[in-house]
Amino acid sequence: MAKREDDLRTPGELLGLASEFNAGRGSYCHDGKIYASLVGIRHLIEAKQGSDDLRPTIEIRREKERDAVPEAGSTVTAKITKVQARMASADIVCVGPRAVKEKFTGIVRQQDVRLTEIDKVDMHSSFRPGDIIRAEVISLGDSRAYYLSTAKNELGVVSAVSVAGMPKFFLVSTKSATMVAVSWQEMQCPLTNQREPRKVAKVVT
Amino acid sequence: EEGASRIVLPGDVVFGLAAQAQNKVLRLGSGLSQDADRVVAIKAGRLNHAKSKLWVEGSQKRYIPSAEDSVIGIVIDRRAEEFLVDLNAPVLGLLPILSFEGATRKNIPNLKEGAVVYGRVVKAHRDISPALSCLDASGKGSGYGPLKEGYLFECSTGLARSLLGTPTYPVLEALGKSLAFEIAVGVNGRVWVKSDAPATTVLVSNAIINSECLSAAQQHILVQKLLQAAK
Repeated sequence: MAKREDDLRTPGELLGLASEFNAGRGSYCHDGKIYASLVGIRHLIEAKQGSDDLRPTIEIRREKERDAVPEAGSTVTAKITKVQARMASADIVCVGPRAVKEKFTGIVRQQDVRLTEIDKVDMHSSFRPGDIIRAEVISLGDSRAYYLSTAKNELGVVSAVSVAGMPKFFLVSTKSATMVAVSWQEMQCPLTNQREPRKVAKVVT
Repeated sequence: EEGASRIVLPGDVVFGLAAQAQNKVLRLGSGLSQDADRVVAIKAGRLNHAKSKLWVEGSQKRYIPSAEDSVIGIVIDRRAEEFLVDLNAPVLGLLPILSFEGATRKNIPNLKEGAVVYGRVVKAHRDISPALSCLDASGKGSGYGPLKEGYLFECSTGLARSLLGTPTYPVLEALGKSLAFEIAVGVNGRVWVKSDAPATTVLVSNAIINSECLSAAQQHILVQKLLQAAK
């Protein structure tokens, strides 16, 4: 393997000819030549077996892994912080499988909770503060929060604690009350057998 | 669920669920909380049970919103779709602008800051702001709505409940025999009185405020004294 310093490329640097290479991530093709568009290490990826194009792909990858940042279309894991009449606020904790370094705020609006009957959604019957949800980022939203959606079967509440298991300021309940999903609308508490309404995610195992 | 109503303090175990019959349905009202296998009181007051409902009635200055309560609120602000209403509670109530009798998109009630409304708590939970309505469950007004003119004063939640309870509160009964007035009572500890003469309003308000710790007989005497002095 070549020394890393030799392989470090800067934007605008000529990488090769388009006739010999494919332009991958971090590079672009212009006038028959491949140039770098990022600062990073050059990687060569061999062409797939059996494909028509035998040219290897040049990729420029950053040296360090960038911190996880939510982007439109990414699936995130968030914790509900506030439930209001027409929207719920959540703290985004993970983007895909990676935990975030700094907290991001997301909002799930009433019309984005589910696909059907969106004007009859009761936010309080879909989420409660403290619930962990899996959601999809719809857009970057405004300066305050990302816009999230749980309008898919596999999105929604993944983990929730029942009312019985909520810590009360003078009672110490040592039993765990993480609820079990009963349907896509309800979760059941293992301690009291009471059912609570939630927009439950269909977790595919 | 044993016998007559008893006084409970926060933390008192009301009963253990394991000891009870398994198939009974018991509804827990305000002041009670289920902690795994036992029911615990979280408010101080008298434990009441009627039919299959169990609840704690205490007297406080602060009101904790509970569903189906009739309350008197003061409008603080107007948002796009609802009024923000002060209920003498830890959170502001939300009153949708269309939840009034005869309200349509073109005919929205014009409530300004400081307006007094008599409404009903539709939904209350520790995690959300209470949702209010000035319509009853079937969609009619039935006495809910803005309260115009009159005089508003505050009292304890216990006194408010007594004023609304059965049998008729002795002071109200005694006053009603001699005076003509309108009264609205919110369980959130607010009373609204309206009559033709200011002197009547003052007399009624004084009688109610001073009657809280009096027995029925004492309340009648109080009213008689006030009526005598007014002549």
